Amino acid sequence: MFKKAICLALAILMVMAMGTAASAEDKVVLKIYAQYADDDTKVPYDYAVEKLAEAFPNVELELIPQAQDDGATLLALAAAGNLPDIYQTGSGILSTFRESNQIMVLDDVAQSTGFLDKVYPSCETFLYADDGHIYAFPYAGQEYVLLYVNKALFAANGLEIPTTFDELKHCVEVFTAADIVPLALFGQEGWITASMYDIIATRFNAGGIKALDTGAASITDEAYVSAATVLSELTQAGLFQNGVTTTNYDQASELFKTGKAAMFLNGQWYIEDATKALGDDATWIYYPAYDAASYEAGKAVFAGGGSVSGYAVNPASPNATLAAEVAAFISEKYCEAKITLRNNPLVALDVGLTNDTLPAMMKELVAAIPAMTSTTAFTWGLTNATFTDSIGTWTQALVSGQYTVDEFVSELGEVMAGM
Amino acid sequence: MKRYLSNPLAIILFITPTLGLFTIFVFSSILKVFYYSFFDWNGVGTAVFTGVENYSKLFSSSTFATANANGFKFALVITVYQLFFASIFAIAVSDRWMPFRKFFRTAYFIPVVLSVTVVCQLWTSILDADNGLLNALLRAVGSDSRQNWLGSRYGAIYALAFVNAWQWMGYQFALIVAGIKSISTEYYEAAEIDGASATRAHWHVTIPLLKETYFFCLLVSVTGGIKAFTEIQIMTGGGPGTATHTLTYIMYRAAFVSHRYGYGLAAAAVLVLECLAVILLLNYLFRDREAKQLRRLAGGKP
Repeated sequence: MFKKAICLALAILMVMAMGTAASAEDKVVLKIYAQYADDDTKVPYDYAVEKLAEAFPNVELELIPQAQDDGATLLALAAAGNLPDIYQTGSGILSTFRESNQIMVLDDVAQSTGFLDKVYPSCETFLYADDGHIYAFPYAGQEYVLLYVNKALFAANGLEIPTTFDELKHCVEVFTAADIVPLALFGQEGWITASMYDIIATRFNAGGIKALDTGAASITDEAYVSAATVLSELTQAGLFQNGVTTTNYDQASELFKTGKAAMFLNGQWYIEDATKALGDDATWIYYPAYDAASYEAGKAVFAGGGSVSGYAVNPASPNATLAAEVAAFISEKYCEAKITLRNNPLVALDVGLTNDTLPAMMKELVAAIPAMTSTTAFTWGLTNATFTDSIGTWTQALVSGQYTVDEFVSELGEVMAGM
Repeated sequence: MKRYLSNPLAIILFITPTLGLFTIFVFSSILKVFYYSFFDWNGVGTAVFTGVENYSKLFSSSTFATANANGFKFALVITVYQLFFASIFAIAVSDRWMPFRKFFRTAYFIPVVLSVTVVCQLWTSILDADNGLLNALLRAVGSDSRQNWLGSRYGAIYALAFVNAWQWMGYQFALIVAGIKSISTEYYEAAEIDGASATRAHWHVTIPLLKETYFFCLLVSVTGGIKAFTEIQIMTGGGPGTATHTLTYIMYRAAFVSHRYGYGLAAAAVLVLECLAVILLLNYLFRDREAKQLRRLAGGKP
C-alpha cells in the first residue's frame, strides 16, 4: 500500500513537472541588460516588468544588471557575439555597434507600436541618429546639470547666492573659514568633473563641451582657456573638498545632505533626494558667470541635455521583432514610472500622465525650461569616445589643483588633434 | 623514470598536449595582439590597416612616458619592499628559537588570500584624505598635515605600489621560507664551527643559496610592477588626471572606454616586449653569475 502511494505521488509529481515545463516552454525569455542600481533605476524597471506581465504575458525578462564600467561589459559581449536581446545604450556604444551591425534599426517598430506619436517634439532630436534612423527607444527627456545649494548654510554665514565668479570666490573663502566644504564634488567620476567644467565653459561659449566634441570649437579657443582658468582659480581657492578626485558619489552626496557642504553638482534626477534630505533648504541656482550681464544672458543656457540613447535591440536575437516591441513598451513604462513614482516629468514621451505633487525644485525647473535656448551634453551623450574619455580625465586633473591650465589645454589639444 | 626521460617519444607525448594548449590560448593570442596593433579597430567592427600609426601615437603621447615611469616606480617599490621584508620575516620564522613561529607564518600570508577588492577598499579607507586612519594617526602624534595620499599627482603611485607590496609580500615570504627549508642544516653547522654568528651565517649561506628563489621572486615582482592595474583601477581610476596611469591602464581605457582596440593593443604589445626584456635581462644577470661560479669551481679564471 505504501509503495503504491509513493508511486502515485511520484507520478503526480511527474505530470505536474511536465505541465510546468510545458508552460515554461510557451514563454519567451528575453535577456535584458539594464541599469538596476539605485531607486532611480530600480523603481522604473520594476514598474515596467510589472506592466509587461499584463501586456505581454508570454514574455519573461531575464535581467542582467548594467555594470558601471563605461560600456566595457557590453562591448565584450558584442565582441563574443553574446549580446542580450535588449540592452540600454548611450551614443558612444550606439555608434560603435552601428558599424558592426549589432544594433537593430527600429524605424518600423517605432511606427507600428505608436511610439513615434508619443515622442515630445523637443525630444525628437535624440530619437534619430545622424543617419536618420532610430536605433534606441529613449525614455529620458532633456536632462540638466544643476548646481544645488543649501540656502540655510548661505544664510547662516551671511552670504548671498553667488551670481558671478568673484562672488563665488568670496563664498568659498567664507565657507572654508567656517570649515564648510563650499562645493562637494564626486570627482572620482569623470563625467561630473567634465560637467563642472561645462557649466563654466557655457558662460563663455554656449556650445560648452558639446561644441568641442563635434569639432565646432577648439580647446585652444579663448572661451575654453578662460573657463579652464576660472575653474583652476576656484579650485586653488578651495572650492572642493580635500581628496576630491578620490571622492565617490555617496561620500560627496553625504557631505551635502548632512549640511557639511554648501553646494553640490549633479543632474536634475537628484532633486528628489536633495528634497528628502534638506527639504526647503535645498534649491538649485543658475550657474554663476563672469559678470552680471553674462549671468542674466546665461540663464537660458544649461549644461547637460538629452542624447540618442535608450533601449536598443540585438538584431541577431531569435525574437528580434518581439524584443523591439518589448523595448518600446518598457521605455514607455519607464516614462510613466519616472513621472508618477520618481517625480520626474522630464521624459521623452507624452504618456498622458501628470504629477501634481512635484517638489518645488522640479516645479522651478519645469517653469524655467521654456526660456532655455540651448543645452550641451552629458559625457554619455557625446559622440566621440576618445574625447569623452579625455575630457573626463583632464577635467579631473584640473579640479585636483595639481595641473596647470597650460597642461590641461595642451593635453586635450593633443588628444583632439588625433581625433 | 630514467627510462621515460631517455625516451624522446615519451617526452613528446607528454609535452604535446600542454604545448598545444599553450600555443592555442597563449601564443596565438599574443601574436594576435601584435597583429591587430597595426589596425584601427573598435573591437567589434571592421579593422582597417593603419601601419605603425598606433605606435607613433602611443610613443608621442605624454601619457606613455608617465605610464612607463609609473611602471618603473611601482616595480621598484614592490621589489624592494617585498624582497627585503619577505627575506627578514622568512629568516626569522625559520629560526627554531623564534617564539610564535606558526602564528607569524600564517599571519604574514593572510593578506595574500584576501580579495584584492577587499584589500583596496581597506587601504582606501586608511588612506582617505579627510577621515583616513593614517592621517588620524599623524594628527594624533601632533602633525597638522593632512596628506592626500591617493589624490597626489606625484605621490599616489607610491601609495598604490605600497598597497600591492603589502598584500603580496606574503607570497614572496612563502617562497623564501620554502627555499630556506630546502637548505641542508650541515651548512649552518659548518658555519657555526667556523665561528660565524647567525647573521653572518644567513648572509653567507642562506641568501647565496636562495639565488634561484630570488630569481623567481624578482621576476614576479618586477613584471608585476610593470603590468600593475587592479589597485589603480579600484583606488584612483588612473587619476588624478593621468598621474597613476600604467601601460596596462592605457590599454584598458583605450580598448574599453575609448573603443580604440588597435591603440590599446599597441600598448599591450609594448607591455609584452617590456616584460620580455625584463625576463631576458634577469636571465642574463643570473646566468652570467652561474657561469662564473662554474668556471671558478672548475679552476678557471673568473
